[in-house]
Amino acid sequence: MRALIFAVRSLVRQPGRTALGIIGIAAVGALLFDMLLLSRGLVVSFRDLLDSVGFDVRVTATDSPLPGGIRLTDATGAAAQIARLPGVAEAVPMRTATGEVWQTGRPVIGLTLTGMDPGARRPWTLITGADLGPSLAPPELVVNQSLMDEVGGAIGSEVTLRTGCDSSRAALAPRTFRIVGIAQFPFDDEAQHTAVMTRTALREACGDDKDEADMLMVASSGGAGAAVAAIRAARPDLVPVTNEQIVARMQTQGFTYFRQISAVLSTITLLFGFLLITVLLTVSVNQRLAEIAALRALGFSRGRAAADVLLQGAMLVGAGGILALPLGFALSLWLDQILKAMPGIPASMHFFVFEPRALVLHAALLVTTALLASAYPMWLVARLPIATTLRNEVVG
Amino acid sequence: MEPLIEARSLGKVFPMGGGPVHALRDISVQIAAGEYLTIRGPSGCGKSTLLHILGCVDTPSSGTLRFDGRDVSALPDHARSDLRLRSIGFVFQRFFLLPMLTAAENVDVPQAEAGVSRADRKRRTAELLDYVGLGHRAGHRPSQLSGGEAQRVAIARALANRPRLLLADEPTGELDRANGEHIAELLDRVQADGTTVVVVTHDAALAERAARRLVMRDGLIEREEHAR
Repeated sequence: MRALIFAVRSLVRQPGRTALGIIGIAAVGALLFDMLLLSRGLVVSFRDLLDSVGFDVRVTATDSPLPGGIRLTDATGAAAQIARLPGVAEAVPMRTATGEVWQTGRPVIGLTLTGMDPGARRPWTLITGADLGPSLAPPELVVNQSLMDEVGGAIGSEVTLRTGCDSSRAALAPRTFRIVGIAQFPFDDEAQHTAVMTRTALREACGDDKDEADMLMVASSGGAGAAVAAIRAARPDLVPVTNEQIVARMQTQGFTYFRQISAVLSTITLLFGFLLITVLLTVSVNQRLAEIAALRALGFSRGRAAADVLLQGAMLVGAGGILALPLGFALSLWLDQILKAMPGIPASMHFFVFEPRALVLHAALLVTTALLASAYPMWLVARLPIATTLRNEVVG
Repeated sequence: MEPLIEARSLGKVFPMGGGPVHALRDISVQIAAGEYLTIRGPSGCGKSTLLHILGCVDTPSSGTLRFDGRDVSALPDHARSDLRLRSIGFVFQRFFLLPMLTAAENVDVPQAEAGVSRADRKRRTAELLDYVGLGHRAGHRPSQLSGGEAQRVAIARALANRPRLLLADEPTGELDRANGEHIAELLDRVQADGTTVVVVTHDAALAERAARRLVMRDGLIEREEHAR
């Protein structure tokens, strides 16, 4: 009889205990799997989000890659100069501001405004209507669905908008804009109101004549690294960063909490798994001491008897580990929904993201746990004194 | 003729809290191939300890043990396991059949461990179950067998790898008189078919069936009896 069948029969002999053990390991495995998905989920999701925008380099005036800091001056000239560099396909200036939609008899609606020069690439996806055109009479707006729903108008309708461009300035007079399309903006959260207009329209709305931008969005043609090198050489006064560099920075700063939480909870989860398997196997071995001693007397070697325990541990963990995957997936979807409800989280970002490496790591950690957890019961079996055990059984 | 087993000055000391316990003291015995030997004596006299040492499941504290001319008293564990697997069969008072396996599977286990092919195992298992009169119970689990039947399966299991020596520790200890008689007859037959049989027992009737009988007391062989 093969060792595997022998181990299976030994487990099936106590179906209740085996089933509870497998369920316990599945629960532990599901939590472990989720912690592994969480450990890199935000990083992977954030990288995907940046890449989905279509630009792989951001150029700013300072080393902050986020809008809202010191602006670039002569943005149009800088964009044109960078666009001519080798390895650069396109450079588009982008400026951000805040705004308020004013409607008679209705509450003011706050929104995030972006001004962007027309280019081949745009960091939004048009859902319906038309994209931005050059018209300034009245200037055009593309809004997200959330804002459209709140305004209650239709494509082609006009809205009155007051922009907030600098906190130091007095409030500007409201202006009229025409909504020409509805788009999806990748960094929007579920409740965010967003609109985009041309940078010229935003400058006019802001009432200034400065050619400024928060950043230049750059698409490389020969790799982000080469584009960054070319920009640094041409414009040492500017700070170009690749998406990968932004992700790396977030990984060591903003997202480090999740990695730490994940590491702590993974360790605790593995410890519980270790204890569960050790207790199950040790109880099983202790109940079968006389039987194991008899098998040893019949000629089973120490290694063979210990391998039987290891196989049982491996099968418990294998079955529990496989069950843990669908359980972990379901749990991660639920937890993701809960965490995404936090304000300011882009709707297309996820905390739990599947990667093949998570699956490999999950399996490796469970196998290691099974090996470590089986060590003590295997040692009990290997060191079992045959004659004493048989004698004690008869006396008992 | 060289004996199958030759024990010289065997001693066994168990270190205990209250001081060492001398379970065996200077035991010397020779057992010829094909012989039927019983060992009896009061509880604690050392007969099971002697059986365990003869069966290589325990090692002596002093003295030597030769099995088929080879010194086995200081063999490493894996070598003793292999010797037990291929040359020694054990029958226990409490049978120790594996409850999750059928009678046939229990007989199959030591053969599979010894690397016997599936076809040969199947043939040998059927042959042995017929030999002990349980061919019709091959698919039954130990819980579905009577005590006598379980012990007969245990004897079939002990004979699975054609051992030269069969050791039985109180094989009728858990059985009623009728079943004990069946087991005694079966052991007679095993010996008659050429296997050396050594039985430890309290049962005087069972002990009387052997041609040679050792009586132990306080770790010593008190006397040796021979059938007339």
